[in-house]
Amino acid sequence: MSLLLRRNSSQLRLLLASGSKITRLASTDSSDVGEPSSSASAVPPTAAKLSNRQRQTPPAVPDAEIKKSVFISQSNDIFTNLALEDWLYKNFDFGHHHVLLLWANDPCVVIGRHQNPFTEANVSQLVERGITLARRNSGGGAVYHDRGNLNCTFFTPRERYDRKYNLNIVTRALFREWAIKAEINERDDIVIRNKKISGTAAKLGHPNSYHHCTILASANKLHLGESLVKEPANYISRATASVPSPIRNLVDVNPNVNVSQLLSAVGYEYLRTVATALEDGGNAQTMQQRGFQLINPTEKWFPGIEELRSNYSSWDWVIGKTPKFTVEKDLELKGDEQGMRLKLTVEVDAGLMKEIGIKLPHSDETVPVVTPLQGKAYNEQNLNGIMGALKLVSASNVKQAMNGSG
Amino acid sequence: MTTKMAINAKDIFRNQHRMIKFIAHSIRLCSNQSLKAAQAAQQQQQQKSSVDFEITASVDTQYTHAPEPIKHDKDLGHQFKASQLSVRLATPQQLQPKPDNDEELGFGRLFTDHMLKIYYHKSLGGWQKPEITPLENLVMHPAAKVLHYAVELFEGMKAYRGVDGKIRIFRPDMNMARMNLAAQRSGLPTFEGKEFVQCLSRLLSIDSEWVPHTDTASLYIRPTLIGIDPTLGVASSDSALLYTILSPVGSYFKTGSTGAVSLLADPAYTRAWPGGVGNRKMGSNYAPTINVQKEAASRGLQQVLWLYGEDHQLTEVGTMNIFMFYVNDQGEQELVTPPLNGLILPGITRDSILNMSRQWGKFKVSEANITMPMVCELLNQGRLLELFGAGTACVVSPVNRINYLGQDLYVPTMEQEKPVHELIRETLTDIQYGRVDHPWSVVID
Repeated sequence: MSLLLRRNSSQLRLLLASGSKITRLASTDSSDVGEPSSSASAVPPTAAKLSNRQRQTPPAVPDAEIKKSVFISQSNDIFTNLALEDWLYKNFDFGHHHVLLLWANDPCVVIGRHQNPFTEANVSQLVERGITLARRNSGGGAVYHDRGNLNCTFFTPRERYDRKYNLNIVTRALFREWAIKAEINERDDIVIRNKKISGTAAKLGHPNSYHHCTILASANKLHLGESLVKEPANYISRATASVPSPIRNLVDVNPNVNVSQLLSAVGYEYLRTVATALEDGGNAQTMQQRGFQLINPTEKWFPGIEELRSNYSSWDWVIGKTPKFTVEKDLELKGDEQGMRLKLTVEVDAGLMKEIGIKLPHSDETVPVVTPLQGKAYNEQNLNGIMGALKLVSASNVKQAMNGSG
Repeated sequence: MTTKMAINAKDIFRNQHRMIKFIAHSIRLCSNQSLKAAQAAQQQQQQKSSVDFEITASVDTQYTHAPEPIKHDKDLGHQFKASQLSVRLATPQQLQPKPDNDEELGFGRLFTDHMLKIYYHKSLGGWQKPEITPLENLVMHPAAKVLHYAVELFEGMKAYRGVDGKIRIFRPDMNMARMNLAAQRSGLPTFEGKEFVQCLSRLLSIDSEWVPHTDTASLYIRPTLIGIDPTLGVASSDSALLYTILSPVGSYFKTGSTGAVSLLADPAYTRAWPGGVGNRKMGSNYAPTINVQKEAASRGLQQVLWLYGEDHQLTEVGTMNIFMFYVNDQGEQELVTPPLNGLILPGITRDSILNMSRQWGKFKVSEANITMPMVCELLNQGRLLELFGAGTACVVSPVNRINYLGQDLYVPTMEQEKPVHELIRETLTDIQYGRVDHPWSVVID
């Protein structure tokens, strides 16, 4: 038994550590590669940790032995689908069985693993409008999902990871079904006449890897634009930032496009293409595959998925994983006759307000503010609470405090 | 066991069995070597801890023999081959959603997305090319023989998802042999079992996601052969259809029960008779039992115990074979089941149990007639230990009560300390779910 422990200590350590938290699979040998997704783009992937550890590559599986399946998720809940993606990545054996997972979600905003939700979206407004906020496990930028957007996750063993292949499946499907000509640019985005219809992110672990991308079929562009507007404040953050990029729906190019047909088209293209090369095998190739399957991501079918889901939906993950940042907001104090432009600065770490202070514009000094709200979660309500309390403070108080301490 | 394990030697020692299972589960994705090492370690542990019965990964040919190869009719014609299989995959729109939980499942209510169909037409040379199609209705002429004379036979098998994620079926060669014997008796064409199992494997790999990823769920496989010749003459069918449908099953018995069943033993009803087809799995054997089952249910009993003859021999219970574990006249423990005398369906679970227990050699194993007077006498003397049914659906089904000639007989099956039926169930499920490497469990994925 000790032999087992030693040999598999890394796996065991991960599982012990995972407990109630989602961890990346062996942080030393996974790389979160983020390419910006639909409405945020053109940012080089930050914090891409590529593994240098030598792994014994298993002998390449011959093409004839690889069978493909297309899994279609029955759920439209972003957390459930993220949990399903994670479950498959952690538990499935893709050696002889490549899988394309197709899923669509109810309206939500999904940020990348290393992003700051507050710089990407107006978090409090999302809650008000019933749009879920979620953080995925792969890097990259923020996206808006709704039922008019199809997500594709291509699962393969690590040595078979091929992003270009996957993106070509999508462009071929679009052409075969609707004669839509789409291109793949050098950033691995799918574009139609210079506007993006898809964004990409990936996760390379061992032994499995996945590459997922979105396809904008008929998403609600108005909601999309409104959701990805950040909260009005000045943020100083080193998290991955999204840069807005012009996007387009497929339905703008061809009004016949709809998500269920797109699902079929991409699925069949995936099945009819040979597994190891970008060659069309036609109907004969499709017949050899395992075909389409509906997937119900519940505990009954996938034991352990409930735990993954509760991690993805937990505050600790969605907000708590935000890299440390500082936010500054203009303050209005009593008796601001002298025109002192004071700023409230809040340093937020792991989603909690750690250091709260008042800053003078002409000096770097910060007067610490003592409030019972320190250590609480950073959100609009708590922030307004601090600002409300500070309204009772006058400008002279602040000056005194500063001169006194200075 | 929580993942916060106290690295405490005492705790590890106490929980070593659970820890081995945990580790074996957590290294599922590792190379084959590691998995075998985990299983070897598990087997070693099981041998060290003083278990009376050992699982050996070998089949002793002294106690079992491969089923006889079937002799095909001279003018049967062409056989089908799995290499000719053509597949028509279901489109995404044709797929059926999977249910959320077991409560909606029942037994045989829901079916998977695809089916296997192989036609036989004497006029076209024999067996045609096998095909896998989306699950669809069958169309046949109203004079089709199956509808008039019950020219039909079927099989019951299960596919299990093993602890390593691979799908396994249990001794499929036995089901194939049994099916062919029944085909001969019904004037239906016989076929090559090996080819059929390969076609079945392809069907299972297409619908593999209908088997949940837990280690307690299974997929029920129902191969069926029907005579579709559209003529009313009572004669061999020149046309037939061999098809298979799959059904996800939850637990066989409703939750909340103790797991033991109560039986109605009424000598007025006979399931099978000498010279009949009690030993063949034909649909015509089952239709007459439905009303009797209803009668049992109305009397608050769960299954029917089928008796035969003046001496009220026990033959089968419900749709399962029956086993009795008792202390015999020589004072030794004995496991007995009725012999294959033509009234008894040669169950595969039955055969596996006989073989396994003979290999264990811990108690006497025999095939002999059991009668109700014998059962009553043994109960009076307190020598009857366990009574249980054995079948594919639930592996073993313990019996705790028999209603016989107006009297309630209580059988102490559930009151044994180390019940034999539990041991049998554990051993068989270990083999079926791949916890133990065994030639009986065939990996098809």
